[in-house]
Amino acid sequence: MGPIVLTVRLVLADVRRHKAQAAMLLLAVTVATATMALGLSLRGVSDALYEQTRAATAGPDVVALSGDSGPAVTSALASLADAPEVIAHHGPYRIVYAELTTRDSISSPVVVQGFAETPGAVNRPLVTSGRWVRSGGTVLERGFATALGVGVGDRVTVAGRSYPVVGIAVTAATSIYPWAAQIGPGGGPSDYSGLAWMTRSDARTLASSHDLPVTSALDLKLRDPAATEAFLDAHRASTVTNFRSWRFTAEQDMVILRDSQPILVVGSWLLGFLAVTGVAALAAGRAVEQTRRAGLLKAVGATPGLIATVLLTEYLALALAGDALGLVIARLTVPIIASPTASRIGDAAGPGGATVAAATVLAVAVGVLSTLRPTLRAMRTATVTALTATAHQPRHRPWLTALSALLPTPLLLGLRLTARRPGRAVLQACSTATTVIAIVALLTLYAQPERGYGLGGSSALPNLRDVHDRRLLLAITVLLIALAVVNTITLTWTTAMEARANMAIARALGATPGQISAGLSVAQLLPGLPGAVIGVPLGVGLLSLFSAGNPAEPPSSWLIGAVLATLLATAALTALPARLAARLPVAQTLNAETA
Amino acid sequence: MQDAVLAMLAKEPSHGYDLRTRLRQSLGPLGESMNPGQIYVTLARLEKAGLVVCERADGLPERPERKVYALTPAGQQRVAAWLTEVGWPKPDLAEFHLKLVAAAAARLADPMQLVAAQRRELLRRLREAQHAALAEPAGSAAALLLEGVVLRLQADLRWLDACERAWSKVDDESEGA
Amino acid sequence: MNVSSAVVRAHGLVKQHGRGQGRVRAVDDVDLEVPEGQMLAVMGPSGCGKSTLLHLLGGLERPSDGEVWLAGQRIDTLGERALARLRRRSVGFVFQAFHLVEELSAAENVELPALLAGRSPREARRRAHSLLERVGLDARARHLPSQLSGGQRQRVAIARALVNDPLVVMADEPTGNLDTAATLDALRIFEDLRAAGQTLVIVTHDERVAATADRLVSMRDGMFVDDTRLAGTGTGWLGGLIGPED
Repeated sequence: MGPIVLTVRLVLADVRRHKAQAAMLLLAVTVATATMALGLSLRGVSDALYEQTRAATAGPDVVALSGDSGPAVTSALASLADAPEVIAHHGPYRIVYAELTTRDSISSPVVVQGFAETPGAVNRPLVTSGRWVRSGGTVLERGFATALGVGVGDRVTVAGRSYPVVGIAVTAATSIYPWAAQIGPGGGPSDYSGLAWMTRSDARTLASSHDLPVTSALDLKLRDPAATEAFLDAHRASTVTNFRSWRFTAEQDMVILRDSQPILVVGSWLLGFLAVTGVAALAAGRAVEQTRRAGLLKAVGATPGLIATVLLTEYLALALAGDALGLVIARLTVPIIASPTASRIGDAAGPGGATVAAATVLAVAVGVLSTLRPTLRAMRTATVTALTATAHQPRHRPWLTALSALLPTPLLLGLRLTARRPGRAVLQACSTATTVIAIVALLTLYAQPERGYGLGGSSALPNLRDVHDRRLLLAITVLLIALAVVNTITLTWTTAMEARANMAIARALGATPGQISAGLSVAQLLPGLPGAVIGVPLGVGLLSLFSAGNPAEPPSSWLIGAVLATLLATAALTALPARLAARLPVAQTLNAETA
Repeated sequence: MQDAVLAMLAKEPSHGYDLRTRLRQSLGPLGESMNPGQIYVTLARLEKAGLVVCERADGLPERPERKVYALTPAGQQRVAAWLTEVGWPKPDLAEFHLKLVAAAAARLADPMQLVAAQRRELLRRLREAQHAALAEPAGSAAALLLEGVVLRLQADLRWLDACERAWSKVDDESEGA
Repeated sequence: MNVSSAVVRAHGLVKQHGRGQGRVRAVDDVDLEVPEGQMLAVMGPSGCGKSTLLHLLGGLERPSDGEVWLAGQRIDTLGERALARLRRRSVGFVFQAFHLVEELSAAENVELPALLAGRSPREARRRAHSLLERVGLDARARHLPSQLSGGQRQRVAIARALVNDPLVVMADEPTGNLDTAATLDALRIFEDLRAAGQTLVIVTHDERVAATADRLVSMRDGMFVDDTRLAGTGTGWLGGLIGPED
């Protein structure tokens, strides 16, 4: 019991002493695990929402679609309902391909399904507001209505005739907006379409009055939903019919999230990586103190095991707290992220066991990786050496020193500062590269041609999937940039603090505060430059791994602009800590170093 | 001085001139005021006391009149006795100390000013000794002697600091009263 | 006094630390003139304000009140940048803790102020080597400070202070961390500099260092309590230590 109490006490004391560092680790891990948990939860949540919608709307196990209409087709479909596996059916019903225009003149392709005024046993759309279809009135699918911005009581024009919207409903028989058509006229490909319901007679009138394309569909409920595939295999020979199993529809729901998942998961890796660099930078800045503390503990008889435990416990506890917080955030935000349309109902389930495990692994990895070096060093260093520890002695680099002598003073100081701590320079380069990767991904996404959901690809109805992806990637990029900003400031400050004595000497010897602060900025920019340049091909490469087909590349002027902007931002961010550090009083610093 | 000259003869009989050179080397600037004849005066006294004997050496053509001095058994005994002596010069601080006490008691003078004047004098001496030490080549015997002089002066100066602190406190108290 | 001949001049110099009740006057109304070529020692117990005085005179700190002049230029009113430029060219600092850059070799340390002053790397190297030779360390030019003894480090620091031909060398307890032999080495270098006409201000609590100066100022509680001219007052006292017999 004793060691545990001691460990807890030491950990609490250290966290209290270094609140900012603890907060940063906590936040970074929270963001990274939340992102990862979201990414990994998407499929489960999407499936769960489909399942709930299916249960609430008596969703069919199979929808049989015919690219044509007419008595022959109708009877062919109707014969399916007589199959022995079928216990219930709905239809056949008409699907009319038309155009819908709102009062705001937003136009979209629409499929109108002719339904009975009293819903049947299978495919009973759930009315979420208003009421079910009646003669002369139409019900809009909720995802479609939300995209159009139309509610109950509004009027929409379908094929030139105005209809009041009498209700809003959801169904599990079709894919989410904008894939409600499922099949195009004549069995061909379909456009992005919304879904509307009318009474059977209204649908018939609509089709015949404008000679619109019509297809037929039949919803089937099987005795054994698990045997859906077997049923499909048995009836696939029928050439007039296309089948959509409920599994297929559920799968189709995921299409809208196809890119969201890699964005979130890869984003969480990058966030985790930046968290490691940031916390490692802070930990490195404290390495001396940490080593001395370990030495102190050893001197009073603590075993190396206890020392490692204290150091690791602190980071792991914070990382796990961040993990828990991240999972909660993921749980709260996942309904928004996993369901960009309003086509499904139900509550999102919490992250599954696998997701929790993966997020926890990420959190633990961040905690361990960022403290591994100081912990090992503290354990290895002998007690007496540790007690008198000064900062790790930088190496003499004659070649670099001679080279820097040729440069103007700020570059001279900057190059020498960079060379003092190569590890930190690598951290800065990694941090910058990660930021640029995210920016390149964002730019590439924005460079893609946009095809809206409106009529003829009009962006009056925005492409929900692209909008969703852009928003997600933008959020991830903003988070990454925020972490990178903190990293840059931290790295500049730790560099300045560690080189405090040298900077005071340089000032005593006649370097101006301006030269010192410029030198400190240069010390961050030097590794930032290769980091930013490498980030571009890395970003393009990473995208090519996850994007289907040949994505359009952003103009190179954008990429060069991104690199320059990143470097300018780095310079600007380093300016403040560098200026502060350059203004520390020389005499006091020198005196402090003597003591 | 007599004992030192005797001890120098213990190694081997020497000319008076050699003895003078060796003394000058060991003493450095401290031996500067010894006049050339002083060594012969000392040797003459030692000879009279029966501690050394003087032999006329086989005259070299260019230095015909040189004498060689050697220890007698009595002289050897005297050297042995001198080496075992543990005498040490007394630190002569009592006089200055009493001067301060008397000056303060009778209000004849400000002890602080006496201390300051004394310090100036000691610092000048220290400067002289220090410069002489710096002028000596490294490893010379005289440098070691000068180091001793410097250290003693340093000790005296530190004692003067102590005096100053003590007497300034006395001043403060009497002013306060 | 002739103002132009004073390299360093201070008038009514005050430096306060802290505020209110805890206010301490580290330097309290000091007047000082150091003529060209003089070696001045400032002596006093630790905490008497002598280091602060040196920092004020060398432009490392700003006074709370009073004036500091360096080579006829008033410096207490200068900005940080101007002060830095002034230190570069006019002042050479030597510190008790040496304050060498640990990851730079002896020669590179000496070069640093020359490079800061905008000299070419070639010229900086030439100066560094000639100065290291002058302090007897030409064979150790490539050594790192950690490979040098305390005395050698301080000699590197002195060489560094001299690399830009400063008007005045300011040394703060230069022998504070040195043993006797190394102290004598350092004193010998200061003596050479003095003989060459270099103006020197040395702050010390070591009597033997102070005694080598031309002039000694004693400080107590931020004030000068004594100002003694030591040069040219030889008494022949040493020779008298071993006088004629009887």
